[in-house]
Amino acid sequence: MHWAQSVLALRSRMYKIILAIRYLIRCRITYFAVLAVALCVWIVVIVMTVMTGLVGGYKLKNHKFVGDCVVGTKSLVGFAYYEDFIKMLEDTDYVEGVSPVIKSYALAGQPGTGQDIRLEMIGVDPARHSQATGFAETLHYHVDDVSKVFEPREDGGLSGCVIGIDRILERDSNGRYTAGPYPADIEVAVSCFPLTSRGALVKATTGLVNTKTFYYSDHSRTGLARVDSSVIYLPFEQAQLLCGMGGVPKRVNAIHIKFKPGVRLQEGCQDVSSLWRMFKQAKTDESQSYLLDAVTVQSWRVHRRMFIAAMEKEQAMLTVMFGFVGITTVFIVFVVFYMIVSHKRKDIGILKSVGVSNANIVQLFSGFAFLIGVLGSSIGTVAGWLFLLKINRIETFLFERFGFQLWDRVIFFIGDIPNEVEFKVLAVIVLSAIGACLLGALVPSLQAASLRPAETLQVGQL
Amino acid sequence: MLKLFLWLRYLRKKKIVLLSIAAVALSVSLLIVVASLFTGFIDAFEQSAVETLGDVVLAAPSPFKFAKYELLVERLEQISAVEAASAVLSAPGLLHVGKGDVHAVEVWGIDPARRARVTAYKSFLVRQKASPGEPSFEVMDSPEKTGGFVGIGVLAEPDEMTDEYDFAAVEKMLGSPAVLTTGSLIEDKGPSSGGSGRRFKRRTIPFAIADVVFTGVYEVDRSVAYLPIEQLQQTLHRDEGGPVADRIQIKLAPDVDVEVALAEIRGVWQVFAMKELGWGAYLANDADIETAKQMQSRWVFELKKQMGLLLVIFGVVSFSVVVLIFCIFYLIVRLKQKDIAITKSCGAASSSVAWVFVGFGACVGITGSCIGVVLGYIITKNINVIEDWIRIAFGLKLWKSSVYMFSKIPNQVNWDMALRIALLAIGAAIVGALIPALVAARTRPVEILRYE
Repeated sequence: MHWAQSVLALRSRMYKIILAIRYLIRCRITYFAVLAVALCVWIVVIVMTVMTGLVGGYKLKNHKFVGDCVVGTKSLVGFAYYEDFIKMLEDTDYVEGVSPVIKSYALAGQPGTGQDIRLEMIGVDPARHSQATGFAETLHYHVDDVSKVFEPREDGGLSGCVIGIDRILERDSNGRYTAGPYPADIEVAVSCFPLTSRGALVKATTGLVNTKTFYYSDHSRTGLARVDSSVIYLPFEQAQLLCGMGGVPKRVNAIHIKFKPGVRLQEGCQDVSSLWRMFKQAKTDESQSYLLDAVTVQSWRVHRRMFIAAMEKEQAMLTVMFGFVGITTVFIVFVVFYMIVSHKRKDIGILKSVGVSNANIVQLFSGFAFLIGVLGSSIGTVAGWLFLLKINRIETFLFERFGFQLWDRVIFFIGDIPNEVEFKVLAVIVLSAIGACLLGALVPSLQAASLRPAETLQVGQL
Repeated sequence: MLKLFLWLRYLRKKKIVLLSIAAVALSVSLLIVVASLFTGFIDAFEQSAVETLGDVVLAAPSPFKFAKYELLVERLEQISAVEAASAVLSAPGLLHVGKGDVHAVEVWGIDPARRARVTAYKSFLVRQKASPGEPSFEVMDSPEKTGGFVGIGVLAEPDEMTDEYDFAAVEKMLGSPAVLTTGSLIEDKGPSSGGSGRRFKRRTIPFAIADVVFTGVYEVDRSVAYLPIEQLQQTLHRDEGGPVADRIQIKLAPDVDVEVALAEIRGVWQVFAMKELGWGAYLANDADIETAKQMQSRWVFELKKQMGLLLVIFGVVSFSVVVLIFCIFYLIVRLKQKDIAITKSCGAASSSVAWVFVGFGACVGITGSCIGVVLGYIITKNINVIEDWIRIAFGLKLWKSSVYMFSKIPNQVNWDMALRIALLAIGAAIVGALIPALVAARTRPVEILRYE
């Protein structure tokens, strides 16, 4: 009985499928609707895949640069009692790595040229920092033994330093760097203002600045333009002394945290935030507790939002613009369906005269629109995917033959053009295309449903 | 006359044609807005370089400085192509402006009065822009102090939501003390020189903030401090025995041929470098003499490339307009077969019938383009207002000077591009109408008008 009902239901739906396929094959004008949908999907798949890849890659680089969570202050004075808080963090079951960090601005004797440059100085314990961030992956000479990154090849009694790659090596037109087998023998004199816990200059009556010389021992390539062109990493203790933070109690500017696998970012940050509030409460009576007021707990997304938000906004604006241009596709589908309904008035009249309801007529044309959307999206997706597969080869060919690059790799920090189609992005594009088709077909479908068989089938009309 | 009558009739009776006009208008306005915003940004980028650096920059080969710059400035100003010139001595530095507030800056040693003749410098000064006379480093109420200017971005951050600076708070900092540390290479035969005979020596310069510089270019405002050129020279290059500079910024006379001016400046420089400085021809030739625009040309090229790419992408998507017009015209031709047949039976040639539809396509293109141009103009001109509405409505600040350099979105319509886009749209409309026009032309009255 149940089986028989199913067969009847299928048979009652069959005419819609047959008619939709028939219209698709017979009415050649529908090819144009399919073409328009395919064209839009093709270009949107390509652009959004590239854009999503760039934004995703940029986010990943930022995530690796700072870890999962940052407890820190913008003030260069920093905050004290960090060792106690680190101990509290390490005792929890959700923290995998913790790294205290010194951040300040420094003036450095530019390697190789004898000129001064302005740099952002970051003082880290390399092993700890690599547990909390992707620091080790960014190194060239010490990628396998990060703990020795500040040990220079030449034992001249000086510590090593890690310099942002764009300060030490030139990028070629393909965005590649050529590093020698060993770091070059370069001394870098680093100076910065040591500040008291009140923010005043430590050496107000003497030389005002602290200067120390380091050997260039490695370079770091994060893939972030601002970082790779402006950062110098120094050993934690020495950076602390240079910035006047090595007194009692010692100070740092930030603590970078990595959560254990399975810990959700938001929950982890909330836990760290609660822990920080408890810690701050416990330190209320300490002499430098006022420094803790300026400290914030931020996820990596919030910490780097100034940089990430700009790219996300550009992606959103591009999506909106595509949405505007996509309105034309809705118009095309509308016109095509308007034509089909105009030409198929007799069919509709006959269908309605044999008892097909208005809703079924709307369903018939909606199904037809759905078919156009699916077909157009499929063609567009396959064409886009094929183009993306070859996009880097096409660019290489254009560069070798005509000197054209999508992005000048000497200027932009972009390697290969991202070409991995993300399912989520693709699903949104395809669903939007099908939605546009359904929207375009809506008014003609309603018109078709409102046709009266007595009028469309009268002899005068036939 | 018949054609015009039919066009107007179809336009009035066939409301579906309005869709094609709307699609053309939409695509044209979008492309005009994109092109105008990009070119506006590129123009602002180039103009900001001119306003900050002057028309031409003569830079000594790094790391050399040149002495007797006053003589060079005098000689440059004697040539007809040059209106004014000003020397600059630059160095990197760390600036301490308050408790715990340290910034990495580029310090420029300048003569503000001279600089104001070369660039729009005076209009950038928050305190002195409205004052009569030439700008100076004199500190208000404390003329005995060494004064300096600081970029507004060094003292404050623009508001997160409005992207505007708190000028009242910034003005309160006028007269505040600041300390700049910088460094220079000095002769040293001791062991600390590493055998090179030269080593770095750190220098600090305490000064009072005499004025605040607001150029509207974020990177300049947040990273440049200005001191008297003599002060910087005495601190960094006291061993030189006289004034030194590392570049000369030049304003060209109006309507001068830039290439001729560059050649004249190069000639003056070479004579000066070889005779007055005793430099060899190779070193003298190594100096960069470029217009401010040429200095930005690599970035401008990239920006233009990105603009071209975006226009191509939207152009491809806008190709749908051709398909839309084809569909609509095909629909009209099919629905108006009887009209066409009657027209042909009255003696109209096939080509005339085709022209009716091609002309109608052109009409749609022209109407859509005109609406698109007007729409594009309105959107571009009011882009800052629209951006502000979005901020108020959604709390989303789309344009920030920290990301896009300038505090305002450039809103000049690129009429050259607008004309090209409009013409392309008209062409696309004609292409879309072409096949339906041919179908109409091939209509046989005998088949359409027979009675069965």
